[in-house]
Amino acid sequence: MGGTHWQGRWDPFRELRNEMGRLFESLEPFQLARRTYQYPPLNLYDAVDRYLLTAQLPGALAEDLELSISGETLTIRGERKRSEGVKDDQYRRQERPIGRWGRTITLPDRVDAALVTAAFSNGILTVALPKAESAKPRQIMVSTTTEAAPPNSRGESGSRGESSS
Amino acid sequence: MKRIDPTIRFRIGLAPGPDDREDPASRHGDEGETFVPPIDIHEGTDGLVLEADLPGATEQNLRIELEDNVLSLYATVDSAIPEGARLIHEEYRRGSFHRSFILSDDVDRDRIAAELKNGVLRLVLPKADRARSRRIEVKS
Repeated sequence: MGGTHWQGRWDPFRELRNEMGRLFESLEPFQLARRTYQYPPLNLYDAVDRYLLTAQLPGALAEDLELSISGETLTIRGERKRSEGVKDDQYRRQERPIGRWGRTITLPDRVDAALVTAAFSNGILTVALPKAESAKPRQIMVSTTTEAAPPNSRGESGSRGESSS
Repeated sequence: MKRIDPTIRFRIGLAPGPDDREDPASRHGDEGETFVPPIDIHEGTDGLVLEADLPGATEQNLRIELEDNVLSLYATVDSAIPEGARLIHEEYRRGSFHRSFILSDDVDRDRIAAELKNGVLRLVLPKADRARSRRIEVKS
């Protein structure tokens, strides 16, 4: 600790400038991107059989979060309010964002909408989106028999043969 | 009626915590980044109320320290993402939160109260009685 705060009297504007300076100095590529960020910040993971979406939503209440899914599109909405009963002129500093927010995310693949679950704990929302059967990675069995065509396709060709005769 | 009341003085990220001193290189690690959490400060009935966004913080991984007149917050957030999950889109990084504030003598240190709820820390910094009576004298 440098103890620079003892030099001279307290000047909130100088502090603000210092803070801005520090903000700009410490900017890493990712933080730079966050300057134009959307609320809330999201991470998306591919966990083989499902996608996991996490969102930083400090102060939110689980019952106030609206989630909906349609096809590959997930929408999250909510509102971040100020602490109850605090008026404008009582604030000395306000850095935390407030207001209505919403995000729409297009997932890389289809998910099974009926099996989507969401949990909220310690200010982090986690949405588990099981992939649709068709989107799951699957192993294809390689047949070793000499029979080339699977049974159902043989049936189809048989019925086609009947109708053409 | 606006008045600037330096009951609490704050600066950002100034006090190196014990952890920072041990391993400054950890900042460059995947999980070792330190972020400055956004805060609000407002006047409450009995002093100042400070609220900090610490998503992912729990009572177990949050540390609040008061050393001399510097109040420091540290939170190390564990990830709940299962192993084997592959990150495909990233808008926030995991890591720790740290921010320090300089308290003036007007804060009654013995009555500082903290509450952590849904990833928001709320610190109540009551004014010392001495400070309250002193302000009345100045106003008259």
